[in-house]
Amino acid sequence: MSTDDQDSTPEAKSPTPAAHGGEDEGRRTFMKVGVGALGAGLAGIVVAPALKYTLWPLAEGTEVTSGGDDFAIVGQRSEFGPEPVKVDIYADRVDAWNKTRNVKIGSAWVVEREGQLVAFSTVCPHLGCAVDYSPEDSKFKCPCHRSAFGLDGAPEEGPAPRSLDALELSNDEDGGGLISIRYERFKQGTEDKVKIG
Amino acid sequence: MNKLLDWLDERTGIRALMGEALDEEVLGGARVRYVFGSVLTYLFLQQVVLGILLATYYSPSATDAWASTAYIQDQVAGGWFLRGLHHHGSSAMVVVTLLHLMQVVLAGAYRAPREVNWWTGLAMGGLVLAFALTGYLLPWDQKGYWATQVATGIMGTVPGGEPMQHALQGGDQYGNLTITRFYALHVFVLPLTLAALLGAHLYLFRRHGVTPPAKLSEEELKAKAQPFWPNQLFIDIAAMAVCGAILVGLTYETHGAELFAPADPASNFVARPEWYFLFLFQLLKYFEGPLSIIATVILPGAVATFLFALPFVDRAESRQAKKRGPVLAGVGLVMVGVIVLTALAIVEDAGNEKYQKGLIAAHEDAEKTRELAKKGVPPAGGIAVWQNDPEFAAMELFKANCSTCHAVDGKGGQEAPSLSHFNDREWLRGAVREPRSVAYFGGTKGHTDMEAYAKEDLPDEQLDAVIEYMIQLREQGEAEADASTYDAALAKKGQALWEDELECSGCHEVEKGADGVGTPVLWGRGTRAWIADVIRNSGQAHLYGDNAEMPKFEGKLSEADIDTLADYVYRQGWGKADAEAGEGDAH
Repeated sequence: MSTDDQDSTPEAKSPTPAAHGGEDEGRRTFMKVGVGALGAGLAGIVVAPALKYTLWPLAEGTEVTSGGDDFAIVGQRSEFGPEPVKVDIYADRVDAWNKTRNVKIGSAWVVEREGQLVAFSTVCPHLGCAVDYSPEDSKFKCPCHRSAFGLDGAPEEGPAPRSLDALELSNDEDGGGLISIRYERFKQGTEDKVKIG
Repeated sequence: MNKLLDWLDERTGIRALMGEALDEEVLGGARVRYVFGSVLTYLFLQQVVLGILLATYYSPSATDAWASTAYIQDQVAGGWFLRGLHHHGSSAMVVVTLLHLMQVVLAGAYRAPREVNWWTGLAMGGLVLAFALTGYLLPWDQKGYWATQVATGIMGTVPGGEPMQHALQGGDQYGNLTITRFYALHVFVLPLTLAALLGAHLYLFRRHGVTPPAKLSEEELKAKAQPFWPNQLFIDIAAMAVCGAILVGLTYETHGAELFAPADPASNFVARPEWYFLFLFQLLKYFEGPLSIIATVILPGAVATFLFALPFVDRAESRQAKKRGPVLAGVGLVMVGVIVLTALAIVEDAGNEKYQKGLIAAHEDAEKTRELAKKGVPPAGGIAVWQNDPEFAAMELFKANCSTCHAVDGKGGQEAPSLSHFNDREWLRGAVREPRSVAYFGGTKGHTDMEAYAKEDLPDEQLDAVIEYMIQLREQGEAEADASTYDAALAKKGQALWEDELECSGCHEVEKGADGVGTPVLWGRGTRAWIADVIRNSGQAHLYGDNAEMPKFEGKLSEADIDTLADYVYRQGWGKADAEAGEGDAH
């Protein structure tokens, strides 16, 4: 084999067949295709299951985290009035491999409007910061991007695209006036209130 | 495509780089015997990719490791397969490393000028074993936990090894720091070190080329030379494909890697290392006490030193195998020793009944805990998964409602009868012999009516007959009475004693549906239904009537909870004896 041949390889597609003991081009092509095919097959062993595995949390019917799908008791009717009160919501939570009993899964503002209690998620519908209540001007205010909401949850200032998300609230008159809330999360940044999960 | 390559090549010189990587002359021609290094490189890269994939679900903490591994193994789509490939991939690396080493020794490729290449190779071999050792612990299951305890324990027994052991495991005991350290070693330190060594190894390999057959002359080698691309690479990749196919087959065959029950520091697990460490495990059996250092350090150290020194040990004038008899014999001896010790370990375990039984129990625990883990593992950690077991719920119910007055296994109050072994033959004998001891009714306020029966009044054989009669009465209360649970002849004798000689019938009714006189009717006494009845309201006429002291749980506990408790109490005694008798029959 000549040294010229070696030097020329970067440019030439393949070294001259004659230089390698008269090997025919067909055999060399077979080997090249073989390398490609077997290599792809080997990669496929891992890549194919890896895709399924990595995207598994998105698969239909898969629930990686859950909790608070039922109503969670947040207090007595007498604890709430026209001034908003923030309540934490506790529920059993499944998070991938863990199941934790009675952990905080979120919080809500509870306020009396025309004699009825309503609950708003503290998650800002804009980009998910926790909304505060400002007693001076009786408004809910988001500390991040200056969205402000009235006591009815309607957006009044700032970039928030929709009202605060109202949560289902149940007033158990027979059970001694216990108030419970069904905690849910909603898509952020959209005009419509769309439940996640 | 070509245009794009041109564009890229102008800016990066990629064609020259590829040429550099692929255009190598293989003197003497491409050969199957050169595949091992390439196969190892493939396996290493695959392990890296698989490891990264596993890391997307795995959580390295003493509380999460097992739960997240069980999650990968039993819930995530394809998780068992990728974990299985990673597990068997480590075995494959050990096997191919050995084959590579043998080939290098046979070819005399460790000789000048390739000594440094030989040493980097040996160092990588050591790293492969370190990978195996650190990876074994990460699932934090019984097998990994106990086997690794042994390994770090060995380190601690070596002179001056204790600080090393504590540094490695992050303190004097296993815990979170052990797992974070092993994790950091396994996924950062070892792969980076191996990659660096692999770079040096490949560079040196390219510098010196393959070690062709020694019998060919220079001219023959040149004449037969073939290019690495595609000739050798084709053979290499075919070998990789064979290896990959074996791995896939093995992974399907075994449904991936084993995962035992979560690490339980209180258990007595039958610890065994992974198969490729069995020879060391076996070696350890032959050296006791202070001599064990021979098996743990001196012999392995001597073998390692011998291998490292091989380029100097070998003074033969030629690479040809027949000229290097002593060296080849030395390496061969080590290999034979390893194989024999491994075989001995396997044979001994196969014949070790205790180990086999332990293994069966371990598999049962594994199956059970992994099933329980599907409901979610409590954040307290792997072994807390047992809290998902209904038995745990029963124990919690008992603790909350019953243990103020009743004891089980010595834990609980003494105001009411102990329920350990409740109602089995021994318990019943005791109830007749010493009804007023605190283990029975001694702690209760009202139950002073029943007199103790001394041996003079009721000899043991008569007592046994009466007890058998009581068990017959209990069994009659079962929905499906099983006459094999008692000795009918003995029970008949007991019945005669009961009716004619003893004074039991003065206070205890035995008829179904009868009312007691502040004492329990013995028909059906002790069945699950009867125990549930006592829990509901022990003041019922067929139970303790006016003498009842136990609070009523009817309405306080749900029917399901009452049934759970009744079953739990039943199983403390009769149920347990039953189960053991059943097991006895089975063996």
